[in-house]
Amino acid sequence: MEILIYGAVTSAIYAMLAVGFTLIFGVARVLNLAHGSFYALGAYGTYVLTSIVGLPLWLAALLAIAGVSVFGVVVEKALIRPLRYSQLGVLMITLAVSLVVEQALFLIFGSEYRNVPAFIDTKVSIGGVDVAGQRLLTLVVAVVAIGALYLFIQRTRLGSAILAISQDAEAAKYMGIPSDRIFSLVMAISAALAALAGVLAGPFLSVQPSMHLLPIVKAFAIVIVGGLGSIPGSILAALMLGYAETLVAYLISTSWTEIVSVLATLLTLVFRPAGIFGKRAAF
Amino acid sequence: MNEPPLWGDNIAGQGDSMAIHSWRVPRWSVRLLASLFILLGLSVSATVDAQETKPIRIGVPTSVQLQVGRDTLTAIKMAVDEVNKKGGVLGRKLEFVSADETENPETGISAIRKLVADEKVDVLIGGYTSGVTLAQLPHIAAAKTIYLGVGAASPSITNKVKTDYDNYKYIFRVGPINAAHQARGLVDFISNFVIGELGYKKIAIVGENAKWVQDLLPVLSKGAKEVGADIRMTELFDTQTSDFSPLLAKIKASGAQYLIVTVSHGSSDTFAKQWHDAQVPVPYGGIDVKSMDGDFYNRIGGKSISEVAANFAVRAPLTKKTIPFFDAFKKLSPNYPVYTAYFAYDAVFLYADAVKRAGSFDTDKIIKELEKTKHEGIAGEISFDENHDLMTGKGKTNLIFAQWQDKGERVVIYPKELRTGNFILPPWMK
Amino acid sequence: MNGFQQIDKLSGVAGAAALVVLAVAPLVFPGNYLIGVLTVAAIYGIWAVSWDFMSGLTGRENFGHSLFIGVGAYVAGVVNVQMELGPWWSLPASMLLAVAFALLLGFPTLRLKGPYFALAMLSAAVIMQRLMLIFWEYTGGEEGIQDIAPLIRNNLHYYWFVLVVLAATTFILSWMARSRWGLILRAIRGDEATCLAAGIPITTYKIVSLVISAAFAGLGGALYAHYQLQVSPQLFAVVTSVTIITMVYVGGMGTIYGPVGGALLLTLLTEGLRNFGEWRLMIYSLLLIFILFFLPNGFIAPLWKRVRSGWGDRA
Repeated sequence: MEILIYGAVTSAIYAMLAVGFTLIFGVARVLNLAHGSFYALGAYGTYVLTSIVGLPLWLAALLAIAGVSVFGVVVEKALIRPLRYSQLGVLMITLAVSLVVEQALFLIFGSEYRNVPAFIDTKVSIGGVDVAGQRLLTLVVAVVAIGALYLFIQRTRLGSAILAISQDAEAAKYMGIPSDRIFSLVMAISAALAALAGVLAGPFLSVQPSMHLLPIVKAFAIVIVGGLGSIPGSILAALMLGYAETLVAYLISTSWTEIVSVLATLLTLVFRPAGIFGKRAAF
Repeated sequence: MNEPPLWGDNIAGQGDSMAIHSWRVPRWSVRLLASLFILLGLSVSATVDAQETKPIRIGVPTSVQLQVGRDTLTAIKMAVDEVNKKGGVLGRKLEFVSADETENPETGISAIRKLVADEKVDVLIGGYTSGVTLAQLPHIAAAKTIYLGVGAASPSITNKVKTDYDNYKYIFRVGPINAAHQARGLVDFISNFVIGELGYKKIAIVGENAKWVQDLLPVLSKGAKEVGADIRMTELFDTQTSDFSPLLAKIKASGAQYLIVTVSHGSSDTFAKQWHDAQVPVPYGGIDVKSMDGDFYNRIGGKSISEVAANFAVRAPLTKKTIPFFDAFKKLSPNYPVYTAYFAYDAVFLYADAVKRAGSFDTDKIIKELEKTKHEGIAGEISFDENHDLMTGKGKTNLIFAQWQDKGERVVIYPKELRTGNFILPPWMK
Repeated sequence: MNGFQQIDKLSGVAGAAALVVLAVAPLVFPGNYLIGVLTVAAIYGIWAVSWDFMSGLTGRENFGHSLFIGVGAYVAGVVNVQMELGPWWSLPASMLLAVAFALLLGFPTLRLKGPYFALAMLSAAVIMQRLMLIFWEYTGGEEGIQDIAPLIRNNLHYYWFVLVVLAATTFILSWMARSRWGLILRAIRGDEATCLAAGIPITTYKIVSLVISAAFAGLGGALYAHYQLQVSPQLFAVVTSVTIITMVYVGGMGTIYGPVGGALLLTLLTEGLRNFGEWRLMIYSLLLIFILFFLPNGFIAPLWKRVRSGWGDRA
């Protein structure tokens, strides 16, 4: 029973991270290794705005998410766009950005863990299992956010534009869709989702400068398994990974959980590079 | 720049070249980088030319970013200032320089290299992570420099002193008491307090997967069983772990009545928060280095309430130096000192005394005098056994157990002679 | 400009001169510190050159080079400490195991296009790091294996030994790069389809070059282990791979000799920045961004080419 709930919470966080990651890839063909930094900045931003500036939690969270979105757009415009000719270039520069962010956080806040306040501090009991309220909140918010995103893409004009670009960027341009602006929008959404994950998970997971590494490894694993560019694929893979990890943690030991994601990536790349729902393996 | 396509260039416009078509390489940037690199290269060679300087230089390899490191440095500064005020050592003043060894053996080794080869220090005082210290040992031995450890607990560090005296005689451990001794201290706590006073026989043991715990665990398990404990589960977790919920669920399911932890580098903050939020019906305590930090309770919103953490000293009259040291330290730092601070402070003094007794700066003579040390330290008397390891026992340095109670107060609950208050249960278990 | 076929005389002379300067430097500026820094720089040079041979030429960037390095280093540790064989045995053993891993990983992953190979290797390196931690009873876990015996006790002599290995590596790989082998690798980078049409077994070539790259990387790893006298899982970290890739960038991708300069410069830079303490990695990362933007073709190689074309006119 615990496995069911904890697995769900873990999957929810992973899903939020993976969806953003796959979105920016599917649309702009950008493998953003700085995605984890958005997660980290979401958590740290909330920390700063509540502890140092003293804002109420909900306001701090919203501002943090908004701020990270803007940051994402800036990074995309200034650093990623000029290098879009080269896959390696984008990989390297986003990696470099993530390193810079990590170092900046380290210099400002030190390497010790910080405490981000939780929205809900009480314990909830479901089916005999004690779950921290904050974890449940994370699950609920994740479902809502991803659901909203899905509706947005399927139902609105802007959403169709995004879909169009992801299918064929050239054709979309001929149709008059302003791809550059859409890229920025998608980056903003992607960053916001990651930041949201950081804000929600920060209170119960660790908040320290190198917190961006694991999310990026996991997000990457999920996106590969689910298929680059496919949102349903990412969600499904997130669930699979979240549960796989929880099972491993309970049945074997927590040390093995990290291997699950990386092993999944490797195996998928080797045996079925397109992933579950991916369109094609090569570029 | 019309060179025909050679190595490194983009052939036929395909493939993954890094050439950015829209950017020209600004000439100034090439020149700037060139000069920068040349300057740096020169500066590195220049620093090599350090000559012998008159003051005695103390090298401090420590984890500068962590509290243990910061406190080490503050304490050394305090000690150095005091010694210098009284005229220094045999007419020479003390000064110190630090190098960040982080928690990573690679960086640790380069920190030692920097201190020994570049800064040419006369003595090394510092240390925290056992694995890092172990990696540094051969390099310290090769440099024939005295090393006074103040933070790492693995017995392996001092084992070589007996087996390879000529090469490793330079290594001393001023603190903490090594992992094996700590295990015995923990066993005493379990036997006399957890079982003896609380009546809890069923315990769970959880620790981080680091060398000092690997050294400590067998001694702990064996000792606990001998005093009648029923160990329901033992698990080591990865130092990087951030989600302890599976572990906490296992602990609950094991039927344990008390949880013994042995954590130093791992995320005690997160563990405490998750334990508190899930309201795990098992109180916990043990060796939790981060919990030794003065602001531990406050920085996690009070969620470590009722945790019993081992300390080497608290602000209590363990020796006549204890309280004055704590108070003087608090003036220089926003928090009370952690364990590396007391040992670092003592280390400076006992080194200075050894040098004075030896009457010379000859390393071998100083070592002989250090071996005879009987120094009244902050936490107790400091003396060394044949492994140059800190001795424990009555009157010497020992493990004390203090509990976090309301408003972040630390109350000593064991040993009984030093008790300052009563044990409390976690708020959800009353 | 000469053809691909030989290393021209001027480059050869320059290379020899650089070697002499490097060898003599610690005599001019004595002290263990400089020797230490230069030894590390030389080992990074070996790693950078080996990376460039495969990834620089074929364009298949390997983000998991640290795997071969780590394997080489750990083999040295195991052979020396746990199996208690003499230190010189680790050199062939490391190369052998690195080759084994290259074959194991190369077969399935080199068929993949795009960034998949890069990321598959990255994942593999991360897995290895994890495995080192999980099987801590055999590998020493987070703290690794200590007490490895040095190959040559005298620091200066060991440095010269490493320099010789570096020179040999650079020479061999440069020669190969300028031979028909290198031509084919570069062709693969340009257009795989055409190569296939011409009947070239590209996957074989890619795998073999990965194997060669791995062998030298593993050798470097063993040399490193015998210098640090310990190995830890940090060696497998992404940071190691990224550092090496940066060095190759600074030196000039695909040039083979450029990365040596890149390794030297960046190692000196890292040491020089030590005084900046906590700011070191930050400056490093910013530098990386700077280079990616302004100097995508590197710094050393273009510099050398410019110098040489100036000289070549007179020659």
